[in-house]
Amino acid sequence: MKTRKLSFLLALSMGASLVAAGCSSSDSGSGNDGDKVVLDYWHTYGEQEEKVLVEEIKPAFEEEHPDIELKLTRMPQEGLKQQVIAGVAGNAAPDIMRMDIVWVSEFAEMGALTEMGEMDGFEEVKETLFEAPMSTNFYDGGYYGLPLNTNTKIAIYNKEVLESVGYDEAPATMEELEDASRKAVEAGAEGGISIAGVGQTWDYLPYFWSLGGSLSNEDYTKFDGYLNSEESVKALETIVGWNEEGLISPIMLGGEPGTWEGIEKGQYMMVDDGPWFFSILMNEKDKQNPLDYTTWAPIPEGDGGSRSVIGGENLVIFENSDKKDAAWEFTKWMTEEEAQKIMGIGTGLIPTNRTAAQDPEFLELPFIEQYVKQLETALPRTPIPQWSEVEGEITLNFEKVLRGEMDPKEALDDAAAKADQILNQ
Amino acid sequence: MLQHNEQLNDPGVHEKVKKGKRNKKPKEKKERTSFKKGLQQWREVFPFLIVGLLGTACFVIYPLFKGIVMSFQEYSIMPGADSPWVGIENYARAFQDPTFGYAVRNTFLNTVVTVPINWFLGIFFAVLINMQFIKYKITFRTLYYLPIITSWIVVAFLFRYLFAAGDGGFINYILYTQLGLIDEPISWLQNQWTAMFVIWTFHIWKTVGWTVVIYLAALQGVPKSLYEAARIDGANALNLFRHVTIPMLAPITIFVVINLVMGAFNIFPQVYFITGGGPMHQTEVLQSMIFNEAFTNMNFGYSSAVGVMMGLTIFILTWTQQKKIGKQKFY
Amino acid sequence: MKNRSDLFWKIVVYAILIFGVLIFIFPFIYMILTTFLTSAYSLPRPEEVFTARPNLENYKEVWMEYEFYRYFLNSLLVAGVAMVGSLLLGSMSAYAFARFEFPFKELIFRAYLFTMMIPLVLAIVPQFTVINNLGLVNTYAGLWLIYIGGGVVGSTFFLRGFFETIPKDLEESILIDGGGKWRIFWNIYLPLSKPALGTMAIFAFSGTWDEYFVALTIIKDEAMRTLPIALMMFQGQHASNWALVFAASLIAIIPVIIIYIIFQKKFVQSGHSEGAVKG
Repeated sequence: MKTRKLSFLLALSMGASLVAAGCSSSDSGSGNDGDKVVLDYWHTYGEQEEKVLVEEIKPAFEEEHPDIELKLTRMPQEGLKQQVIAGVAGNAAPDIMRMDIVWVSEFAEMGALTEMGEMDGFEEVKETLFEAPMSTNFYDGGYYGLPLNTNTKIAIYNKEVLESVGYDEAPATMEELEDASRKAVEAGAEGGISIAGVGQTWDYLPYFWSLGGSLSNEDYTKFDGYLNSEESVKALETIVGWNEEGLISPIMLGGEPGTWEGIEKGQYMMVDDGPWFFSILMNEKDKQNPLDYTTWAPIPEGDGGSRSVIGGENLVIFENSDKKDAAWEFTKWMTEEEAQKIMGIGTGLIPTNRTAAQDPEFLELPFIEQYVKQLETALPRTPIPQWSEVEGEITLNFEKVLRGEMDPKEALDDAAAKADQILNQ
Repeated sequence: MLQHNEQLNDPGVHEKVKKGKRNKKPKEKKERTSFKKGLQQWREVFPFLIVGLLGTACFVIYPLFKGIVMSFQEYSIMPGADSPWVGIENYARAFQDPTFGYAVRNTFLNTVVTVPINWFLGIFFAVLINMQFIKYKITFRTLYYLPIITSWIVVAFLFRYLFAAGDGGFINYILYTQLGLIDEPISWLQNQWTAMFVIWTFHIWKTVGWTVVIYLAALQGVPKSLYEAARIDGANALNLFRHVTIPMLAPITIFVVINLVMGAFNIFPQVYFITGGGPMHQTEVLQSMIFNEAFTNMNFGYSSAVGVMMGLTIFILTWTQQKKIGKQKFY
Repeated sequence: MKNRSDLFWKIVVYAILIFGVLIFIFPFIYMILTTFLTSAYSLPRPEEVFTARPNLENYKEVWMEYEFYRYFLNSLLVAGVAMVGSLLLGSMSAYAFARFEFPFKELIFRAYLFTMMIPLVLAIVPQFTVINNLGLVNTYAGLWLIYIGGGVVGSTFFLRGFFETIPKDLEESILIDGGGKWRIFWNIYLPLSKPALGTMAIFAFSGTWDEYFVALTIIKDEAMRTLPIALMMFQGQHASNWALVFAASLIAIIPVIIIYIIFQKKFVQSGHSEGAVKG
C-alpha cells in the first residue's frame, strides 16, 4: 500500500517534470538560429511598454538588421541589482541592459560596463541627444551608456478637490500649494501634498530643491556646505512643518491609501508623478481616464524655482559581452529618431533624441507638454558611483527628521559629513 | 540555506532521540586502525560517501572558507579584478555602524521573545491534543502544522495584507472598527516596534506547529504504565503532569529549545519579505543585513565580516551541545 | 457531578484547540476569499472580502494570461528532481555514516554538523562562482547541484540516526545470499526507512519549491523562472491587486499542501512504527 502511494507520487512528479522539461526546452531553443547574432537584452519595461517593444521595436530592428536577433528578457524590479551583480560576477550578464540612470556610474566604477567613446559614430550620436540625460552616462572621463528615455515628475491634482478650495488653476508657487492643501485638508481630504515615500531621494527632491535646498556643489565633489546649507535646512523645515500640520498625505510614512488611488477617489489633493501615471492609467480597462479627473502643471515654484528630478533609463553594454559591435548597433539604433518616436508615442516615455522629442504626433499626447517643459529646469541626482550609499544616508536622516526623531539642522549636518566621508573613501 | 533550516527543524529528527536512548549499542572497541585497514575501509565506503562529500565540499564548505577570506578583503566581484587585503577593517567598521547595532539587537530580541512563547504554545497545544478524550488528533496536528509547509513568500504576503495600514487592514478592522480597542488604525509596518511585533507574530505563527508536532510525538512515547503506576500511588492529573510528563520530556525539551534558538537566530525571510529591514534599518537582523550589504551596497567584504561574526557566535553558543553531539552521535 | 465537570473541561479543551485551529487556518481562508474579488485595485475592505462570491476568474487570468502554468511546471521540475536527488544522495551518505567504520568519520560528520549552524546567505556568491565555472549558469542543472549538494548535510544528519536503529541482524539474510552493501542498502535500509524518507521528501520538496534567493541568481531566462521568482515579480507589478496576487500565491502553495496531506500519515506513524521495524 504505502509503497504504491509513494511510487505513484514519484511517478507523478517525474511525469510532470518531463512535461515541464519539454515545455521549457522548446522555448529556450531559439538561441541557435543559423549564424544570426543573438543579443541578450534585459529590460524592466512595464506591461504596456513591453508590448510596444515586442510588437513594434523588435520587428523593426530585426528587419533592418537581418543578421541580428533580439532576445528580450523582462527582469523583475525586485532583486534586480542582485541579478545584475551575480551576472557580472559570473560572466552571465546580458549583452545590453536598460538600466536606471543612477546605477550607471556605480557599475562603470566596478568595471562592468563598456566605454562607448571609441565606438563607431559615437560623437555624431551624442550630438543628436539631449545633454542632461547624456551626462548621466559620464564617469571618469568616458561615457558608459546612451540615454534611452528620460522623464521627470510634475504636479498632478484632483480637479474637483482643487476647485472646491477655490483654485481654478494649478498652484504656481509653493505658498499657493501650501494654502490649497491646508484648505483641502480642513475640508476633509485625507492629505494635501502626496510625497510618495521617504525611502528614496526621488520621492522628495522636487520639494526639497524647489524650496531652495541643494545636495552638493556643481562638481559633485562636496556635500558639506550644500546639503546642510541654511537654505537646505530651511527647505527641510518647511516640509517638516507641512507634515506636522497634516498637509502631507499619510502615504509618505507608509499609510493608506496609495497615491494613485488617493487622487482618483479625491482623498488626496495633489501628487507628483511621472508620465506613466497617465500612460498606465489610460490603458487600464476598468478605470476612469485620469485626464478626466486631474489637472497637471509643473512643480510649484519656491525659493529654488520649479525644480523636479530627472529620471530615466540608459542603455549600457556589458564589458563581458562578446558581441559588442552588434550591441552597439542596437544601442545606436534605439536612440535614433524612428525607435525613439515609436517608444515615445506608444508609451509616453520621453525621448532623449532631440528630433523625436519635437515630433508633433508625440507632442499631441495630452500630458506631454508639461513634462517637456518641466525637464528644462529639472535636476539630476548626484551622478557619482557612491550614490546608493550616499542616498542611503540622506534618506535615513530625512526619515528621522520627518518622524520627529532628529532636528533638521543636526540631521543634514550629519548626512553631509557622512556623504563626504563616503565620497572620499 | 532555507533548506538547511527546514531540515534541521524536522520533526522526524526527534525519533532518533528516543531511539538512541532505547537501544544503546555496546560501545565498539576503538582499536588502532592501521593505515592499510583505513584505506580498505575508505575503499568500501567511498561509493556511498563521495558524491555527498563532493557536493558538501563545493557548495557548503568552500563557500564558508571563501567567506572568511572575503571578510579580510575589500572584495571585488568582477572576475579577475583585485581584492586588496584590508586586515580587520571590515570588522572594525561593524562596531561603528548603527545598522549593525540594530541587527544584533533585533536578532537577540527575536530569540528572547519568540523562543519562550513558541516553546510554551508548543507544549501547551501538544498536551491538549494528546489528552485521551480528544478525537481527530491527526486532524488537529495536520492543521497546526500547515503554516510550516507553506511558502515563506506567500505567508509574508499574507501577513503584510492582514497587517496593512489604515482601517482596511484586517487586524486594524478587528481591533479598531469591530472591537474599538485602539483609538486609530495602526500603521503596523511603518513603526519600529509594531513592525517588530508583526515579525515576531509571523515567526511564531509560522513555526509553532513544529514544536507541537515534536512534543506530541514525545508525549505519545511516554509509556502508559508509568501513568498507571503513579495513579495507583494516588497522584492526581496535575501531579502526573509534574512528576511523570515533565521529567520524561526533559531530554526532548533540550533538543526543542536548541532548535528554536537556532531558528530564531537565523531569522531572515521573516524580515526580508515583511519589512526589508525598514523603517530606517530598525528592524534589520543579521542575515538581512548580510544580504543587503552584499547585494544592495556591494560591500561583499563587510558583509562577509558580519557573516563570520555571526557564525562564530553560533559556534560558541552551541559549543557545549556540539560536544554532546560528538559523544552521543545523535541528539 | 464529576461527569458534569468533566464535560465542562472537555468543552474548554476543545474550545481552546479549535481557537488554535482558527488562528492557523483563518489567514488562509481570508486569502482564499480575497481571490474571489474582481478588480480589487486597492486594499479590499474586510466587508467586501467576506461577501465575495466564489469564482475562478482570477485564477484563470493568472494561470493563462500571466503564464503561471509555465512557472508552475518549472517549479515542479526543479523541486521534483531536487527531491529525488536529495533523498538518494542523503540516504547514501547516511548509510555510509551509519554502517561503515572509516578513518575521520566522526571528524567529517562534525564538520557537516557545524555547517548546519552557519548562516549560508553569503554562500550564494561563492556557490554562484562554482556553478559559473562549471558553465551551468542559467540551467536547472546548476540549480539542482546547489540544492542537492547543499542539502546533503541536512538529510544525512536526519537519516543517519534512523538507519542506526535498524537492527544489523536483518543484513544477514542478504549476506547469506551473497549480496553486497548495495543490496543491503536497497533491500533493507530504504524500504524500512519509508516513514523517514517520506518526511524528508516533504521537506526536500517544499524547501526547493519555495527557494527564492539562489534561483534568482542562477536563473536568468524568463521562460525558466520558478514560482517564487514569478510571485515576487508579480507582486511587485500588481502590488495593490491583492486578488490576483493571492490567486497566484494559492497556485504556488497548493501542490505542497497536497503532498503534505498525502505523506502526512506516514509522518504520524513515524513516531510509532519502530515496533514493526524491530519485529
